[in-house]
Amino acid sequence: MVDATTRFFEDLDRRGYEPLLAKASGTLRIDLSEGAQTRHWLLTIDHGRLNVSQEDREADTVIGTSPQLFEDLAAGREHGLAALLRGDMTVLGDARLVVQVERIFPGSPDSLGPRRRFTGEVR
Amino acid sequence: MGQSNTIRILDGNTFVVCEDTGDIEATPSEPTGLFSIDTRFLSTWVLTVNGERLNSLSFDDLQYFESRFFLVPGVATHYIDAKLSIIRERSVGGSFREQITILNHDEKPVDLEIRMDAASDFADLFQVKDEIVNKKGEIYSEVEADQLRLGYRRGNFVRETSISSSMAARYDSKGFAYTVHLEPNEQWETAIQVETHAVGPGGRDLRFGLRVHGDERLALQHDLERWIAEAPKVNSEHGRVASTYRRSLIDLAALRFSPLSLGGATLPAAGLPWFMTMFGRDSILTCLQTLPFTPQLSKTTLRILASLQGSRFDDFRDEDPGRILHEMRYGETASFEEQPHSPYYGSVDATPLFVVLLDEYERWSGDVALVKELERESRAALRWIDDYADLVGSGYIWYERRNTDTGLENQCWKDSWDSISYRDGTLPPFPRATCEVQGYAYDAKVRGARLAREFWDDPEFADQLEREAMELKQRFNRDWWVEDGEYYALALDPDGRQCDVLSSNIGHLLWSGIVEPERAEKLAQHLVGPRLFTGWGVRTLAEGEARYNPIGYHNGTIWPFDNSFIAWGLRRYGFAEEAATIANGILDAATYFDGRLPEAFGGYPRELTKFPVEYPTACSPQAWSTGTPLLLLRTMLGLEPHEGHLAVEPRLPIGMGRIEVLDIPGRWGRVDAFARGRLDLHKLTD
Repeated sequence: MVDATTRFFEDLDRRGYEPLLAKASGTLRIDLSEGAQTRHWLLTIDHGRLNVSQEDREADTVIGTSPQLFEDLAAGREHGLAALLRGDMTVLGDARLVVQVERIFPGSPDSLGPRRRFTGEVR
Repeated sequence: MGQSNTIRILDGNTFVVCEDTGDIEATPSEPTGLFSIDTRFLSTWVLTVNGERLNSLSFDDLQYFESRFFLVPGVATHYIDAKLSIIRERSVGGSFREQITILNHDEKPVDLEIRMDAASDFADLFQVKDEIVNKKGEIYSEVEADQLRLGYRRGNFVRETSISSSMAARYDSKGFAYTVHLEPNEQWETAIQVETHAVGPGGRDLRFGLRVHGDERLALQHDLERWIAEAPKVNSEHGRVASTYRRSLIDLAALRFSPLSLGGATLPAAGLPWFMTMFGRDSILTCLQTLPFTPQLSKTTLRILASLQGSRFDDFRDEDPGRILHEMRYGETASFEEQPHSPYYGSVDATPLFVVLLDEYERWSGDVALVKELERESRAALRWIDDYADLVGSGYIWYERRNTDTGLENQCWKDSWDSISYRDGTLPPFPRATCEVQGYAYDAKVRGARLAREFWDDPEFADQLEREAMELKQRFNRDWWVEDGEYYALALDPDGRQCDVLSSNIGHLLWSGIVEPERAEKLAQHLVGPRLFTGWGVRTLAEGEARYNPIGYHNGTIWPFDNSFIAWGLRRYGFAEEAATIANGILDAATYFDGRLPEAFGGYPRELTKFPVEYPTACSPQAWSTGTPLLLLRTMLGLEPHEGHLAVEPRLPIGMGRIEVLDIPGRWGRVDAFARGRLDLHKLTD
């Protein structure tokens, strides 16, 4: 079974464009460290156009966290900005990119959305 | 809470609240301390000389970011031995600095033991506000040769206060001390630096290097001078309006807040001490009030709120796609998701108001580029109104929190638990819809249509929005009109039953333009009539309603910001005298607060109290109270962008004399406006 992290990045790569990032440009590297092992994901954003690789090269912004936490973020079980404030995720470089990219993570899987009191057609 | 005796200085979301000696002795419920990023970094800061506490002779709030205290040893009840004086000068910028100067006025030398007790409870601002400090992590203190570090650790969440001194001090776990020998007429001084740290793993500060370096105080001073120089000048015959304006302008500078990680752009934070952070509603309404004077705030506010616009469903945060945030916090409870403010989206007015502000900003500035830049976000906001806010399917914006533990029950500006009621005083079930929000939705559609037609090249969308706005207006005028009272209901319950109380909210409806013209006069009569108008301003809830209480937070007090939008609305429908009556009352009230209007004051009749009674725990300065005199000026002077130029149509009360506003910025460059008091308000109230 493919993990949520891989699925998240593969999905971005397949979509190739994310309208929520239309005003964002830059490179974001995610370093997922566990013991001596670090796995890298590199997200290149050019006005919403996306490219994903697993290169370990210099980036405008570098996020560091554990593979477990990122797995939860990719599945919507954890929230990026809260994790950042908690110190469970670190950021080096341009933090604006993190705030922009955070918005494309999924919401909580338990969330039901607005509780409408009606069924069927509106008006 | 004894707030009236406290001294406050601030810069962005770093602020100090202390006693008039400069000391800080916080208890769990006493909101004194050094605060930054929603965390208390000092809860004890007590200066003693030879074991004695100090007594205040005087203090100065020099600027919003600095203050000075003149002290002598001994407490007030003792004979004061004025042979020693102590001066504490302090400022906040990126850090907190205090300079202590001690002068020996005696003919003999003295030996002094000078000590500062220092400690921190690292309380989250929410815990201070709710009077619950129940820390789950560990508090520590580390004594080093050249500094004292106070810290708090919970998992990877680390907040630290580091204290160092220019003169060598002896540090211990509870403070630091100096032994000083002073000859006659000799003086001694030391500069103490207190830094606040939000430490991430690897020791890096989470604030991303955004903090000011170098001479913070000088940089702040220059920044304030530039801020004042760039804003229009206001001169008034009686000086009163001009000094209130100047006070407001300085307080607005103080309330500018630069969110973490957004590149240093500033928007107005909501207010000191509890709300030094970004709020969608407060920031937008403050921008609308201040547009003619400080338009740059609107641009950054729109950009920042757009960058954090909701993008998914998150029930804990009450987030939906397109929704504009309610409140952002950086403290421990938000970090550990004990509170939902990372950010929290539980407000139903910020989203339509976002579109309203963008349109109003363009009308003043001609900044078409921003309207194009924020097209996607504006469309998403307009979509939210129809797709996610209509919980009942009746064509209105409703609210019902999905976060039933820590979310907000009332997601309109009157957000206290008992603010929405029927005439018999009972509270309606959820979901609820309040009237002013339907007005904002109408206005957002009308203004959105203009943006779509003129700038987004989408006449079809413009037609659609106009059609929807028209239908909303018809529907609203059918469902919300209270026949026996001749005003609009405060709210509807999910069965469509009216919360049929008379409230200040009807004034916002005039501002939005959703009121049928033939009904406007009746509203104007109510707004300056005896049930709502006290002589100072319009009460949140009319006298005679079951829940009316002149010091009820949203059930009878007067909110200056509320009144400024009511006056704007009255002017929009041609009721210039009624608008001037309200403007006059609120500006009169401002003089009792040295030009600094509080969040709210009591709804007692003016002739009864003779002065405005401050609401006990009101926040001050508060952004939208600070913006109030500016919107009242705009309203009385009739400043309105019109086909690329600035129209001026003053209607001032006689007592206000001459007022001139010079260098009003906008698409016309800079323009002056002059006005003379000609309205005889006594005729109106008689």
